[in-house]
Amino acid sequence: MMILLSCGFVVLIGLFLVIFVIGAYNSLVTLRNRYKNAYAQIDVQLKRRYDLIPNLVETAKGYLAHERGTLEAVITARNAAATANTRAAQNPGDASAMKEISSAESALSGVMGRLFALAEAYPNLKANTTMLNLMEELTSTENKVSFARQAYNDAVMGYNTRREVFPTNLIAGPFHFGPAELFVIEKPEQKDAPKVSF
Amino acid sequence: MDFFERQEKARRHTAFLVVYFIVAIVLMIVAVYLVVALIFTGFELKNAEGDTSGAWSQIQVFIGSAFATLAVISLGSFFRTLALARGGRAVAEMLDGRLVNSNSTDPNERKLLNVVEEMAIASGVPVPQVYVMDGEAGINAFAAGHSASDAAISVTHGAMTMLTRDELQGVIAHEYSHLLNGDMKLNLRLMGLIFGILCLTVIGRILLRARGKNAAPFLALGLALIIIGWVGVLFGRLIQAAVSRQREFLADAAAVQFTRNPLGLAGALKKIGGVAEGSQLQSHRAEEASHLFFANGLKSELFGFATHPPLIERIRALDPSFDGKYPSVVLPDTPAAAAPPPLPGASPLVQPPPPPRAQPPPPPLPTAKPPPLPIVRPPPLPGAPTIVAQQAVIADIGQPRTEHLQYSIDLHQAVPPSIQTAAHDPLGAHALICAFLLADDAAVREKQLEELGRATSEAVRQETIRIWPDVQDIPPHARIPLVDLALPALRRLSPGQFEQFRGAVNKLIGSDSETDLFEFMLQKIVMRHLDTRFYPERRPVTQFYDLRPLVRDAGVLLSATAYAGADDATQAHAAFAKGAESLGQIARTEIPWLPPTECDLTHLDAALDRFAQSVPQIKKNVLTACAETVAFDALIQPREAELLRAIADALDCPIPPFLQA
Repeated sequence: MMILLSCGFVVLIGLFLVIFVIGAYNSLVTLRNRYKNAYAQIDVQLKRRYDLIPNLVETAKGYLAHERGTLEAVITARNAAATANTRAAQNPGDASAMKEISSAESALSGVMGRLFALAEAYPNLKANTTMLNLMEELTSTENKVSFARQAYNDAVMGYNTRREVFPTNLIAGPFHFGPAELFVIEKPEQKDAPKVSF
Repeated sequence: MDFFERQEKARRHTAFLVVYFIVAIVLMIVAVYLVVALIFTGFELKNAEGDTSGAWSQIQVFIGSAFATLAVISLGSFFRTLALARGGRAVAEMLDGRLVNSNSTDPNERKLLNVVEEMAIASGVPVPQVYVMDGEAGINAFAAGHSASDAAISVTHGAMTMLTRDELQGVIAHEYSHLLNGDMKLNLRLMGLIFGILCLTVIGRILLRARGKNAAPFLALGLALIIIGWVGVLFGRLIQAAVSRQREFLADAAAVQFTRNPLGLAGALKKIGGVAEGSQLQSHRAEEASHLFFANGLKSELFGFATHPPLIERIRALDPSFDGKYPSVVLPDTPAAAAPPPLPGASPLVQPPPPPRAQPPPPPLPTAKPPPLPIVRPPPLPGAPTIVAQQAVIADIGQPRTEHLQYSIDLHQAVPPSIQTAAHDPLGAHALICAFLLADDAAVREKQLEELGRATSEAVRQETIRIWPDVQDIPPHARIPLVDLALPALRRLSPGQFEQFRGAVNKLIGSDSETDLFEFMLQKIVMRHLDTRFYPERRPVTQFYDLRPLVRDAGVLLSATAYAGADDATQAHAAFAKGAESLGQIARTEIPWLPPTECDLTHLDAALDRFAQSVPQIKKNVLTACAETVAFDALIQPREAELLRAIADALDCPIPPFLQA
């Protein structure tokens, strides 16, 4: 009888352990998928932004003949950010990729701000409807990026918390669930999207 | 057989299923007992020769093994069911599905999303989450979930790329019929139970690892448990297969009735026969979910265990002239070949730009201007009132027809591009719902927008202002479909953003000086469908099997509907009386007529929640009464029609859009 009891006990403990490990592992996978998915949302908007910027530059070129430097800086920053984003999209949450995209995005926001400020000085450019539409579209995309970034950061926080608390942290190590990195725009003065004012 | 009968039948099927499983589990307990008795007490009896308590210890052993077996099976089922409580998402993610972005620009994904969205609008259900199983080259698909609001549709990569639009439409229509027939809940239950039985074999495997000098009986028990477990799973499979096979033919038939294009579905089935991978799935988890799939997902199935009727029989049922020769399928080089024309919203930006908002009046540009929305219910002309027979309203529930599909395709194409884009994007969808709740009066609107900015963020406020001019022009009949379209994007909000969204919507409704029933229903639809995503634990359970305890709630619902559709109290009472008469007969008691203060939005909210927890037959009776009340003046206004659809939605009874007579 003792054998039977201990056997039943072992079975139950084993069952609980198996179920716990499966449950914890699955919850981590779910949360990881969730933040990766949230990055896909940012990716869509960033790509849209990278598509819009060359159009904007093309439109502004005719009016800003003397401001080649700024226009080139915008294109360079845009290309750098696009490359960084490709890397981040392949491996969202990876610390170095996220830092790279963060700083590239900050730089891009900076030069875009300069371009918008410059456009203020050219009434003809300001009156161009294509330019107006592009700027509006860009602002809207900018909003969408910040909204998607918020969702991504929330998802990353959820994942990081889960992998650090007991008892899931016992599973996170052996199964290689590393920490995920937030997407923050680093420089405080550039936290806002470029302001468009007319 | 109407929607409610099918729902009722699905419920009864579940009951049968449980009986079958109880029989299977009892058999397994007996088997486990016999094995335990043989292995262990066999040893013990040798030690205690001549002991008269043998019979007593046998009972103990029986109780012990019965308890252990039950514990294992029910624990396993419980945990699996708990995991599946997250709805269709859980299943789709379990099978390595990838959530398709609702604003995807990939032509194949766009095609898939459009087909799913059209079906959703045509049947009046929220657009489900769409997943693609990237690793699967075969052609297959499934729908899973507890209800329409947490449903997920998942297709293999092969199905997405190899099928034409018509074929894909057939497959998706097949999945929708599972969704509307109440098959999905049944299927999830099955998965939970089978997993529980499977757990026995897991324990067996653990016991097989036992080492040491006393390990022999454990090894024997382990082996026996594996065998018993597999026999149990075998029984489970038989039940699973029997339920599934019968439902597949039904779903095929419903899909054809829906699309009225048997060749689309037949084409998809023929392609399955034609490609090397067929409909097989690579995922090792596929076995557990094999009964969910569009076509046979496992490598080989013996007769009796096949979850799907033979391919050729299914094709012949659709296309009697089929000669049994499957076409050879080549993967299209250019995925865009089969894709529909790109969505207006997804087109490159630098096409004719819309006029700037700052310059009133906006000069309409020819290409940017969408075709006008199809008018379902033109403003009633004198002498030509629009009449909707309430019988037709009830009969259409859960049974969309081809006309609904065509209407939905037209509507889908007529929505302005800016609104299309907004509905597919989380921020845009958030702003869209808020914009629906803004007041027409400029001063009130200004105040509302201010509150919105405070409750959420500047980004939301700006986006709402940006799309407001387009939202303003959307006629009432297009609003619920747009809400349904926006739901997948809203499901992508983070929990924090969802809380802000919920707060903002409540604020906007509260800030309106007048209490608008339609706005309230809009909010109810959005929140009800999103709650399943953000609070999966709050799922309603059926509690009411009789109309009697719900008589007062029926009074609230009918009175509120009557007030909404009538100009004065006498007219309202007459409308109420029409609906209350038949319902009162069914309940064998009088439905109370309530003053406006007792059927306000708070009461209405509670009443709808209670009705949502009742059996299908009660829902049907109540909806019929509502339809009668609305149709009292022989004329259903667009707003009344949408109110009716919203009430039906709150009761989980999807009504397809009303069509022009």
